[in-house]
Amino acid sequence: MYEINICHLYPDLLNLYGDYGNIQALVRRLEWRGISVQVHPVSIGDPFLPDEYDIVFIGGGQDYEQDILHKDLLAIKKQPLIEAVESGMVFLCICGGYQLMGRYYKLSDGTEIECLGAMNHWTIGHEKRLIGNLVFKIEGLKQQPDSLVVGFENHSGKTYLGDGVSPLGKVVYGNGNNGEDGYEGARYKNVFCSYSHGSLLPKNPGLTDELITIALKRKYRDFVSLQPLNDRIEALARESMIKRLLKAKQ
Amino acid sequence: MNRLINAVRYYSALFLGKIAIYLLRITGSGGTSFPGKLAMAICPDLLRILGAKYRIIMVTGTNGKTTTSRIIEQILIENHIKYIANKSGANLISGLVTTLISDVKFNGSPTSHTALLEVDEAAFRASSKHVHPAVLVVTNFFRDQLDRYGELYSTVEAVRHGIINNPGTTLILNGDDSLCASLGRDVQNPVIYYGMDKLSEPEDDNGKVSNSDASYCIYCKTKYEYQYHTYSHLGYYQCPECGYKRPEPLVHVIRVPAMTSEFTTVVFSTPSGSFQAHINLPGLYNVYNALAAVTFAEALGFSHEKTVRALSCFESGFGRMESIPLGEKNIQVILIKNPTGLSQVLKYLTTVEKACVICFMINDRTADGTDISWLYDVDFEPLKNMQNRVSRIYVSGIRAEDMAVRLKYAGIFTDHIAIEKNNPAMLDSALNTLNAGETLYILPTYTALLDIRKLLKKRFNLKNFWQ
Repeated sequence: MYEINICHLYPDLLNLYGDYGNIQALVRRLEWRGISVQVHPVSIGDPFLPDEYDIVFIGGGQDYEQDILHKDLLAIKKQPLIEAVESGMVFLCICGGYQLMGRYYKLSDGTEIECLGAMNHWTIGHEKRLIGNLVFKIEGLKQQPDSLVVGFENHSGKTYLGDGVSPLGKVVYGNGNNGEDGYEGARYKNVFCSYSHGSLLPKNPGLTDELITIALKRKYRDFVSLQPLNDRIEALARESMIKRLLKAKQ
Repeated sequence: MNRLINAVRYYSALFLGKIAIYLLRITGSGGTSFPGKLAMAICPDLLRILGAKYRIIMVTGTNGKTTTSRIIEQILIENHIKYIANKSGANLISGLVTTLISDVKFNGSPTSHTALLEVDEAAFRASSKHVHPAVLVVTNFFRDQLDRYGELYSTVEAVRHGIINNPGTTLILNGDDSLCASLGRDVQNPVIYYGMDKLSEPEDDNGKVSNSDASYCIYCKTKYEYQYHTYSHLGYYQCPECGYKRPEPLVHVIRVPAMTSEFTTVVFSTPSGSFQAHINLPGLYNVYNALAAVTFAEALGFSHEKTVRALSCFESGFGRMESIPLGEKNIQVILIKNPTGLSQVLKYLTTVEKACVICFMINDRTADGTDISWLYDVDFEPLKNMQNRVSRIYVSGIRAEDMAVRLKYAGIFTDHIAIEKNNPAMLDSALNTLNAGETLYILPTYTALLDIRKLLKKRFNLKNFWQ
C-alpha cells in the first residue's frame, strides 16, 4: 500500500488565509483513493528531516509571526530544506512561504531580510497591497476549463524571478507576482510557489493531483497514475468564479 | 461671519439628515448610514458637536459587539436610563452620526442624554479625536476580514491609538484575551478587567493548528504558556520570558451550572458579591458578551437584581441568534463573519438534540470580506459528528459552490449538500424538509443576512431591523 508523508512547516505560525485547506485537500484526495497519509507538524525548535517526508507545505503568515520564526528557519532548517529541494521533493509554498524560499525580502525602507535562498527569486516590499481574486493559467495542467487555476491574493511584496526559476503560470485576472510582468508564482524542480490562497488546492484538484502524482512517482517506481475522482462541486466553484471574473474584466 | 456660516451649516446638516432618515424609513429601506454621510458632507464637524451633547458608551472588538450592546441596552432600560443606540449595527462613522441625528431635535437639543454606540475597530480610531466616550467596552480581537483591515495586530493598534486620544475614558477590557488586555497597560485610563475562571469542562484545549491568533507574546514574542483555554486564544495565558500575563479580573465568571441550546446559567463574581443569572442566549461566546455587560453594570454601580433581569430578557440583535417561530417549526438566524465566530456557532449547533436543517449563505461583497479563504480556518469537525441529526445542508449566496467544496473537504457527505442560490426556493425546500418541532438554522455572512432578513420579513411580517 502506498503511503505519503506531508510536512507542514510552522503550522502554528504560518497559517493565514485558510492555508490549512491545502493540507486538507492533499489528505482527503489521498484518503479517497485509499492511499495512507500522515501529516507532520514541524515548528520552532523541531528538526526538519528530509528522509521522512514526500510533500512539504509552507503557508503564509503576518509580519509579526514571520519575524518570530526567521531565526529558527535560517539557523536549523536552511540546509536540510535546500537539500530536500535539490533532491526533487515536492513543495507547495504559498504567499509568505513563497517569499521565504527566495533570496531576500527587501522592505520599503531598504532593509534586506535574508531568506532561504533555495530558489533564485526575490521580493520587494511596497506600501500598497495587491489584494483580490486571481486567475492564472498553468500550461499543461489537467484542469478544465483551459488549465485555469482560481484563487485569491493578498500581498504587499512584489516578487521577481531570476535565472533557473520559471513562472508557475500566466495571469489571466489579477496581479500575480508583481502586477507588472504578467506572471504568477514560481516553479523550480518540484517546488510549486504561488501567491494564491483561497485555499488554493481544494478548488483546483487538477493541481492537487499533480502534486500527489509527482510525489508518488518519485517514491514508488511501480506507480503509474491516480484513480480519477468525481470533482463536480470543485468544477462548479471554479467555473462560476472564472465566468464572473472574466465577465467583469470585459 | 464664520460663526454664522458654521451655524447655517450645522442646522442645515441636521435638518437634511433628519429629513433623509424620515424619507428612508417611510420608503421602508431603513438607510442607516446615508443620512449621516449626507449631513457630514454639509457639516464635517458634526460628530464632534453632537457627540459633546451625550454621555457616550462605546462597544468595540471583533466579535460580540452587537450582542454585548443589546445586553447593555437592556441594563439601561431596567435602570430607567433614557438612551439612544445604533441598533441596526451601522457601526461606521456615518452610522454613528445617523444615530445621533435621529435623536436630537431640529434645534440640536438631545432627546436622550446617553448614547450607546457599537463601533467598528477602525472607525473607533477615526472617531476618537471627535467623540470622547465615558466608557469603552472592548470584547476581543480575532482574525477578521484581513482583506479589509490588514493584519490582526494593526486592528489592535488602531484601538490603542483611539484610547490614547481618550485618557479619561474608563476601559472595560477582556482580560482573557492577551491582545485586548494589553490595551490597559501603560495608559492613564481607569481600567477594569473581566474574565472567566477555569470551568470544569474546558471548551477547547487541544491547541489546534487551525488558528494561531496571538499564541506568541505581544511584548517579547515568546510562546505563551496557558493554565487553561476557554476558547480560541482566550484563557489564562502567561509569558515565561517577560512575565506578561492575564490580569486579575475584577468581575469574573466562577461557574456555569447549565448550558443548553436555549440558555446558559452563570454565576458571576463581582466586588459587590456574587450572583447567579440566566442568559437568554446559548453559547460560550455569549457568556463572554454577558460578562462584558455585567462588568459595565458593576462599573456604573447598578443593582444585581436589575442586571439579572436584563440578562434574562434582552432582545438579541438583528440576526444574532434571532428566532422566528413559525407554528410548529422554527427558524434561527445566526450571523457568521469570521473563523472564531463560525467555530463557536458550530459548537453551539452540537448542543441541539433534535434533527435540523442548516443553511450556509456565503457572500463576498465588501462588507462580508471579498476573501472567503477564512472558511478554511474553521473547524467543521463538530458538524461532521452530527451528520445523523442534520437532515440536509443547503449552501446559498454568491459563493455557494465554494462553501459546498469546503464542506466536502471537511468530510461531510456530498449527497447531504444542496446548492440552492435562489433564497425563496431554498426556504421552501428547507421548511418542507423539517418535521414538527425542528429548526432551520440559517448562517449568513453580513450582506447575505440583509438579503435573507428582507425575505423573512416579507414572508413572516417581522419588524424592521432598525427598530
